[in-house]
Amino acid sequence: MMRILVGTEKGAYLLTESGSDWHVDGPMFPGWKVTAFGQTVGGARVAATGSNWYGVGVHHSENLLDWKPSDSPPTWPDGSDRKMEQIWTFHNEGDRLLAGVAQAGLFSSDDGGMSWDPVTSLNEHRTRDQWSPGAGGLCAHRILSGNGSMWVGISAVGVFRSDDEGATWVPKNDGIPSVDTAEGGERPEVGYCVHGLAHDPDEPDHVWRQDHQGVFRSTDGGDNWERIEDGLPAGFGFVMWRHPGTGRLLTIPLESSDNRVPVDGKLSVYASDDNGSSWRVSGSGWSEAPQFTGVLRRAFDGDGNGGFCFGTSGGKLWLTRDLGDTWQELNASFPRIAAVSIVA
Amino acid sequence: MSVTVRIPRVLSQAVTTGVRHQAEGETLAAVLENLFSREPGLENHLLDEGGRIRPHVLIFVDAARADLDTPVRPTSEIQVLQAVSGG
Repeated sequence: MMRILVGTEKGAYLLTESGSDWHVDGPMFPGWKVTAFGQTVGGARVAATGSNWYGVGVHHSENLLDWKPSDSPPTWPDGSDRKMEQIWTFHNEGDRLLAGVAQAGLFSSDDGGMSWDPVTSLNEHRTRDQWSPGAGGLCAHRILSGNGSMWVGISAVGVFRSDDEGATWVPKNDGIPSVDTAEGGERPEVGYCVHGLAHDPDEPDHVWRQDHQGVFRSTDGGDNWERIEDGLPAGFGFVMWRHPGTGRLLTIPLESSDNRVPVDGKLSVYASDDNGSSWRVSGSGWSEAPQFTGVLRRAFDGDGNGGFCFGTSGGKLWLTRDLGDTWQELNASFPRIAAVSIVA
Repeated sequence: MSVTVRIPRVLSQAVTTGVRHQAEGETLAAVLENLFSREPGLENHLLDEGGRIRPHVLIFVDAARADLDTPVRPTSEIQVLQAVSGG
């Protein structure tokens, strides 16, 4: 029985498979944006809430329906001129729960998300005064880890890698066009708008990247990046996902930075079975009707067994159970979807 | 002295009990500090990183817009107004 947590512009919903249909609980957190989901080492689910006025919140649940707030969500230290605008992502690293936030920063919790400390080695990086926001804000939105290294994707700053458990961080963006440097100009150290990251947990240095400037891969932990867009209708997009068992890569191309909808309104996931060297439409089931909608970077999830789900900015959910061979649109509509999480 | 503090329903997820609370203090800052000692989850949603009332959060003491220095009388009622926008 599949369950899906859906975080939207106006609350969260829990979808529970019921025969051939879905039962919908919610909205939970009415009046709040729900921007990210995670899980503690102990197994409790974690949800991040946000608001245009009231700051952010972190909530815990054992049953996905009853949520308890943390008294101390991530907060910039007293006197900081930075704003805690949104929690973008959670990530488990050993016994720690990490959170990526806007305005861009990394926070760490040793008590399952009840209290948080800033990761100053990254947050106060020597390049900090050069960090600038993208259209979605200045946000740390993706965290990866493996074999003693960590990667953090920050828009519109770039990818940072740490090889010493977060003590120091180095920008890793060689091969990526910067956001606003004229051709032939000197490459800046930061100013790269990463949108999505995925890697191979067995070979963590093999990393795939959906960037503002296209789709790229690295086989050396981000030291060098090469463009891989053969078969894609566009290089722009937000999603990059890798199925751990088969290595299948999934992305959702959007036309361009200026027109963030599928090319010709043909919404579909694209898949690669050769590490990104070539891409094709993932399976069947896609709508024949125009689908001028977007898919945000945290609105895609996989269950590790061949189930994938994504939500659109138009509030629709799409699902596959067979690694993307067949897709179906669920018969329900929600507010703009920011995050989804498939719950085992 | 104990005064009544009403918060918007949307903030009820950050507190242990309801939208109507009792707290003590002779200024709005003191009342809020007292309230936060029992409802710590509320502080982050009303005050910013610098300890100021968040932009767009309006707090009224006896129907007049207040700041943290506003005096509070034993009979005062404090209302945190619901912030809204369209869409």
